[in-house]
Amino acid sequence: MGEVELVDMLHKAEVSADLEKLFGCELHTDTPGGNAWVDPGSATRSICGCEFKNIRFRVFQNAGEVNLRARLVLQSGETLNSLPLVDREWRRFLSDFIHRPSESGVSPAPEGFLNRSIWAKLMRAPYRFARIGLARGKQMEGKCWLMLDSLFPQPNAGWL
Amino acid sequence: MSPSENQDESRALELSRQCVASKLPFHALPGDDDDLVEKGLLDSMGWVDVLIGVESATDIRDFGNIWPEGRPKSIRALADTIREARRRVPEEKPGEGPAARTLGGSEVSIGGWGYALGSVTVSADQIESECALPPNKLRDGAGIRTLQIATDSEDELTLGQRAAEAALEMAEIPSEKIDFLVATSTTFLNLPSFAASLHSRLLLRETSGALDVGGACVGLIYSLAVAKGLLRVAPQEVALVVASEVHSRRLNAPHVPGEFRGLFGDAACAFVLTSAADGGGHAARLGDFVWGCSATFASSLGARMAENAGLTVQFKGEQLAHAAVTQMDRILEILEDKSGRPRTEVDYFAFHQPNPRVVEILAEKAKIPLERIPLLSATGGNLGSATCGVSLCQALTDHRTRPNPSQPPLIFMAAVGPGLIWGGAFLN
Repeated sequence: MGEVELVDMLHKAEVSADLEKLFGCELHTDTPGGNAWVDPGSATRSICGCEFKNIRFRVFQNAGEVNLRARLVLQSGETLNSLPLVDREWRRFLSDFIHRPSESGVSPAPEGFLNRSIWAKLMRAPYRFARIGLARGKQMEGKCWLMLDSLFPQPNAGWL
Repeated sequence: MSPSENQDESRALELSRQCVASKLPFHALPGDDDDLVEKGLLDSMGWVDVLIGVESATDIRDFGNIWPEGRPKSIRALADTIREARRRVPEEKPGEGPAARTLGGSEVSIGGWGYALGSVTVSADQIESECALPPNKLRDGAGIRTLQIATDSEDELTLGQRAAEAALEMAEIPSEKIDFLVATSTTFLNLPSFAASLHSRLLLRETSGALDVGGACVGLIYSLAVAKGLLRVAPQEVALVVASEVHSRRLNAPHVPGEFRGLFGDAACAFVLTSAADGGGHAARLGDFVWGCSATFASSLGARMAENAGLTVQFKGEQLAHAAVTQMDRILEILEDKSGRPRTEVDYFAFHQPNPRVVEILAEKAKIPLERIPLLSATGGNLGSATCGVSLCQALTDHRTRPNPSQPPLIFMAAVGPGLIWGGAFLN
């Protein structure tokens, strides 16, 4: 199945245009600009698709470890901040970018690369679709954090 | 360590403890020197959440990214990093930033600009037919050859976003560096307001402001004035100014006269403003602004929402055109006084353009050559608050092709809107 067909199919599954209907319950945040969470007992589902109108990436690096986060604007104009992007293809793409040999010896910063060149490709794409999932709540914490499970279009090596 | 350094350290430690505690609500607060990741209290995602929490609480951009290799992920290390970041960027009080020190905080310049027109080109013939106007009324009477109209998928936000992104790209400033957005739109009637909606759409920082300014066709000039005023208070900040109008949807109502509706196109424009900290490298500096409101001709244009949400327009075209030309000529006189430069020295006139015929009459009355007016209304229509701005964008872009583009051009801006509200500015 090609990506277009896959996204078509995902549109027929659980989708929402706004935050409230994503998981059928209220979303909470602890800090402005931070990721959102839901009460484990109140969510009516654990994954939901949504179209997005804009996206920005943030790349956190420390000691060889890379964390990719994203901000999304939904159809409703509401935003989701600091979503951990756990999509395997996107993580592999970022890793390939960071580790590819550079002719000049100086690699461009990954965040700038994602927010310029890759962002432009996403904005020109005929569809922009994300699947947001809920992480399993940690014992005692009582919070299920949101994650960006899949981001379409998927990146490809030609974008590097 | 001095008493004030001691105080800084204890404040930074307390803030770090609070940020860590918010991620560990069911744990006793770990020791200040405990490595939170090594001890298994946080995973790497949780650690990033702590960094974002500190960033949000301190407004230190990109806090802790990249985290230095070998530095423990502890409360004390967070506090040290806060203090280091604050030492790197000393807090500037209003009026004491770098620009203020060199230029008295009064200089604000345009660092980038962009515009977006509705994607559909509609001929005057087609509009005349749709608006039940006599043949050639628009083409011969108003001088309009085509209009640029939004597609079904375009609205004030999509056009505003395109214009803003072009301006940010030119200024080489990422959207997260914008400290406040000043936005204007007459046709966007929703809540959340245009500024708030565009702020979301552009994914500006949550700590950047969003302010709506009215003024209809003068809205862009008023927005630039407001942004300049805000930058004088906080000269280290960066402002984004956006005007966006989609008339075609709003005026497509049964009670709107065809000769009014047929004049308007859809567009947006955007400008990135910064304090001018040095003598060069900017496209143009914002000079003085002038404004007023001449109620004598207020009845020549009015619009109101009816109870059924339909739009009713009162439009006395000839009276309005005469009032507009007279007022814009007066604005030019005031700008000559304010800038100390005669209109013969002006490189470009970025006017509001109700229609091309009015612009021609104004050029003749004001004795200014038409080629110094970027004439967009003949092909785009009256773009409301975006008219002045798109015209200014075209002037600034054209200036880049001139022999000495590093010498900023002298530009006069002038606009009138319902009321009759009026405004002007000069740039040099």
